Amino acid sequence: MVAFVLKRLVGLALTLLAASFLVFVVTEFSPGNVARKTLGAYATPAQVDLLYQRLKLDDPLLVRYGRWLGVLTGILRDPLQDPDLKLDFRDPRGDRYFGNFGYSTLFKAPVNDVIWDRLKNTALLAGIAFAIIVPLSLVLGVLAGMREGSWIDRTISIFGIVTTSIPEFASGVFLFVIFGFWLGLVPGTSPLTTSAGWSIASQLLLPVLVLVLYDSGYVVRMVRGSMAEVMNKPYIRTAILKGLPHRAVVTRHAVRNAMIAPFTIILLQINFLISGVVVTETVFAYPGFGRMLLEASLSKDISLIEAATLIALTIAIVTQLLSDIGYALLNPQIRLS
Amino acid sequence: MNDMRDNPHVKVLAGELAEKKIDRREFVRFATLLGLSATTAYGLAGKISGESFAPKAQAQALPKGGVFRLGNRIKEIKNPHTYSWGAYDSNMSRQVVEYLTFTDEKGVTHPYLFEKWDVTPDLKTWTFKVRPGVKWSNGDTLTADQIIWNLKRVLDEDVGSSMLGLMAGYMLKDADLGKKDDKGNPKKSQVLWDANAIEKVDDSTVRFNCKVPQVAVPEHLFHYPMAILHPDDKGVFGVGSKGTGAFELVDFSVGKQATFKRRNGYWGGDAALDGIEMTDVGDDPSAAIAALASQQIHGLVFADPVQYEALAAMPHLQFYSVPTGETQVMRMKVAEKPFDDARVRNAMRAALDPDAIVKVALHGLGRAGEHHHSSVAHPEYAALPKRPRDVALAKKLLADAGHPDGIDVELNVPTDLPWGQVQAETSVEQWKEAGIRVKINLMPGASYWDVWTKVPFGSTIWYHRPLGIMTYGLAYRTGVPWNESSYSSKEFDDLLGQAEGVYEVDKRRELMAKMEKILQDDGPLAQPLFRDTFTFMDKKVQGFSMHPTNYFFGWKVGLQA
Amino acid sequence: MTAAEAPAAVAVVKERKRPSLVARLPTSPIAMTGIGLIVTWIILALIAPFLPLPPPNQQDYASIAHPLPSAAHLLGVDLKGRDILARLLWGARTVLTVAPIAAISAYAVGIPLGLAAGYFGGKIDMLISRLGDIILSFPIIVLYVILIATIGPSFLNIVVAVVLASGPGIARIVRGLTLEQRHLDYIAAAELRRENALYIMFVELLPNCRGPLITDFCLRVGYTIITIGLLGFLGLGLPPPDPDWGTMVKEGTAMISVRPHMSLFPAIAIVTLVLGFNLLADGLRELSLKD
Repeated sequence: MVAFVLKRLVGLALTLLAASFLVFVVTEFSPGNVARKTLGAYATPAQVDLLYQRLKLDDPLLVRYGRWLGVLTGILRDPLQDPDLKLDFRDPRGDRYFGNFGYSTLFKAPVNDVIWDRLKNTALLAGIAFAIIVPLSLVLGVLAGMREGSWIDRTISIFGIVTTSIPEFASGVFLFVIFGFWLGLVPGTSPLTTSAGWSIASQLLLPVLVLVLYDSGYVVRMVRGSMAEVMNKPYIRTAILKGLPHRAVVTRHAVRNAMIAPFTIILLQINFLISGVVVTETVFAYPGFGRMLLEASLSKDISLIEAATLIALTIAIVTQLLSDIGYALLNPQIRLS
Repeated sequence: MNDMRDNPHVKVLAGELAEKKIDRREFVRFATLLGLSATTAYGLAGKISGESFAPKAQAQALPKGGVFRLGNRIKEIKNPHTYSWGAYDSNMSRQVVEYLTFTDEKGVTHPYLFEKWDVTPDLKTWTFKVRPGVKWSNGDTLTADQIIWNLKRVLDEDVGSSMLGLMAGYMLKDADLGKKDDKGNPKKSQVLWDANAIEKVDDSTVRFNCKVPQVAVPEHLFHYPMAILHPDDKGVFGVGSKGTGAFELVDFSVGKQATFKRRNGYWGGDAALDGIEMTDVGDDPSAAIAALASQQIHGLVFADPVQYEALAAMPHLQFYSVPTGETQVMRMKVAEKPFDDARVRNAMRAALDPDAIVKVALHGLGRAGEHHHSSVAHPEYAALPKRPRDVALAKKLLADAGHPDGIDVELNVPTDLPWGQVQAETSVEQWKEAGIRVKINLMPGASYWDVWTKVPFGSTIWYHRPLGIMTYGLAYRTGVPWNESSYSSKEFDDLLGQAEGVYEVDKRRELMAKMEKILQDDGPLAQPLFRDTFTFMDKKVQGFSMHPTNYFFGWKVGLQA
Repeated sequence: MTAAEAPAAVAVVKERKRPSLVARLPTSPIAMTGIGLIVTWIILALIAPFLPLPPPNQQDYASIAHPLPSAAHLLGVDLKGRDILARLLWGARTVLTVAPIAAISAYAVGIPLGLAAGYFGGKIDMLISRLGDIILSFPIIVLYVILIATIGPSFLNIVVAVVLASGPGIARIVRGLTLEQRHLDYIAAAELRRENALYIMFVELLPNCRGPLITDFCLRVGYTIITIGLLGFLGLGLPPPDPDWGTMVKEGTAMISVRPHMSLFPAIAIVTLVLGFNLLADGLRELSLKD
């Protein structure tokens, strides 16, 4: 088990390395450069050229990637913080430390000052959504799957298909019009401040609802499929034939076995949640990680994109790892290898 | 200080007003520029034109108390001298740190931290008096030395302030300081043209000794990077920074929120509001609408025409607007085919219907442009004969230029201002009828600013500037950094040089008419509209007025309980 | 299963000789509803040029002040005075071209990779799977946004982005299916006949994987339609002024409290088309499970 986890952690590090390089390569195709983004729209070409040279931006891609890695690991100084550049870029943590993601050209602040608070806000949003999606989907999925073809099954399945067909941007916008604008029950944006008289809970309501609607449809269908399959297994049929009450068969035997496959799916939802979060946070002006990532991508703030991608990847890969371990625990027949 | 009423320029202006060559507003505007107090100027205007005319009472009794919540973008605000957004960042710091002059929403420049000024008849020596009794938030008194420190800092090319572009012409000269760029080539530097260019006369008097005449010095001092910071703060602004303003910054979180608290002992009298809270409402125009609908904010820094109808439908909101010289210029690089032929550029103009574009892109909140980038909001604007849309002419021009089957070009459009996109899309439809097939290439604002001076055909935002010649000098003079179209016309440059040395509005307008015509006949731009800037505020908000450059002043505003 | 029973079982299977999945579609109401929705949109898209509609980009300046549905504009006009119905139908042509082409391209890349990984195994499998894992660990929207914000939105670039984002997922599914079949007798037989690897992969293996792949394809087309809409909503849609459903929703959101129809109709269009593909996929899966 320890060896397995260690092996996966090494894999995680390698994946992160490869992915960060990939991001570097992709952003390379875009016009413009860090110098221009750092100085802003109105800097003269001469100023931009000067900074371009000082940051050695015409070095080959690999050299620059190496430099970025050096700054991240604390081996090299962050070149943007060089006082000679007179940019007034200062990081209270210093210009050389491990985990230095560099300077965000969009926010003109150290990435570490920008990113963690937003991640916390997103964790709140996604955490609540996740805490609703999982039990809701399990209950609905089991209800639908235990009597395949019944009216309950039909209703729940159709509901699941319909909600996964409504993109978050559409549901978000229309839910606001109905509950926010027409009924005045919830606020239109979620800045997570209470000075305007709206509670934090009321601000979380619509964003959570949007995430739950879209994602639970998918999980419900997974659980249902798995449940229906298990209910058709000979040992369940035997149990029913032996005269055990239907309810007991479902709760004691079927559910546990039906959970194995969806368990993986549910944990992979974290990845889906991050996608949904970008849209939801944009629609509701929620001060989170997703909206920041979108803004960083649109303005090609490479330091911020890199940091955000690495964090998102780490979350995704760690949950994959957890899902693998959990899968093994649920199903003793599978050996971790 | 001599009586400015004797200033020959004021006399010329008075003559122009008497002959109705300029209107009272323009008179007040220029007379105050030259150092006449606004009250005197308004009085004089009344005397000359024979009508009584009083400035609107500035200080009205505002209700006290309350926290004003403003929807804004919370961008980084660390370095006021190098701001590049104006509407976003300076609107936060300007509640704390202030400016030497104050240009109001009508374009009239008033004394502010400078209490008064005068200028010699050659428009080269400007003498400014520092307002006495202005206290910083730490108790220090504002001095000439502190102001000079700020002025010299923004003129230091290493700081990289855009004040350089405005003031270099009359304050700086090229010099070889032996600096080298990183490749070891000698690098030209810009330094003060004279050691005495910024002169401390005494502890409360600052003098500008300009290299060449300049009429707009007081207006330059109101440009958003020219905030006066306490030298102890070393050019950096943030929570707890010292300021002369009515508020102090108590909390700041980039991308989220900035919180200000009233400061007691403000030289202009304590503000009515207890505090200001600015919240980031994002780039999505509908999020700002939602925040206003739910009364999470009292108002927006500025609104976009696409938001107008939704906001106008909310009964609790009040509409504020002001005409400006703000526009998006669809400019053509004159060295690139097919735009190297003036007939093609003319065809691009002839095929457009500005009135229709104003209707679609601005919902009528603006006025038609005449393809010469000079607006009625500028004093020296000259009305030229109207040129209605003429598709047949456009086709003929294209055929003459060797494109009988029309042309195919690509227009680069930044996405940060929705109305600019609508202008582009509407223009494309109109061009289509003349055989001009335009493909739109949308790009995020940040990408567009990387290429805005390079693309063959691009749509560039130009914000309001107080004088028409300021825009011409920045955008169409041969070889200047922001001349994005590489336009070059000796005749135009000569006329512009003359106009910059002429203070009589009427005379300058004659020169302006010639320059406008050159741009219409030969220029690098299709420019169908000028917009009114506008916003919506809760009806509880009192004392607010829309500024053409979207500036927000917390001390002017009160909140009804 | 005893030796005696085996031939009988085979005989039963032979006797039933089930009709193909497609032929059994009419028995699934869910699948038929899905097909109904998709076909409706295809027909509408095909006949759009022949309907008495204004050109989709034409601006009716007079209608801007009165954008609600009227006799002249059945679904009303948008912010710029353009006929919403015309834009929906012309937009359908775009989305019904881009989404399937993007999905097919993703399959064209994913299938060979998956077959190769599953059939050859070893180092080839390692390489393909590792690379795929890296891309699959990206939150998919991050990949889309970074890619499109960087290379710019266009027909081709959206296809490229979908291929990059979906290709590895398809490869993983195909690899899994291949591994299931890899050791079956018919493959061994083909290898014995000394068929070349390409023949075995594409002619022998692939057809036996088609069931799950057809279902996956429908889901993917649906998801691609959502993605295209999403990109439009985030301001990364196909270049204007040509109609793009996601961009239409986006442009209407500023007006949504006063003119909800501007966003509502394009949103309904996206939902019904995606629903069509999702229902079809569900029906297909149900049918294939009944085998």
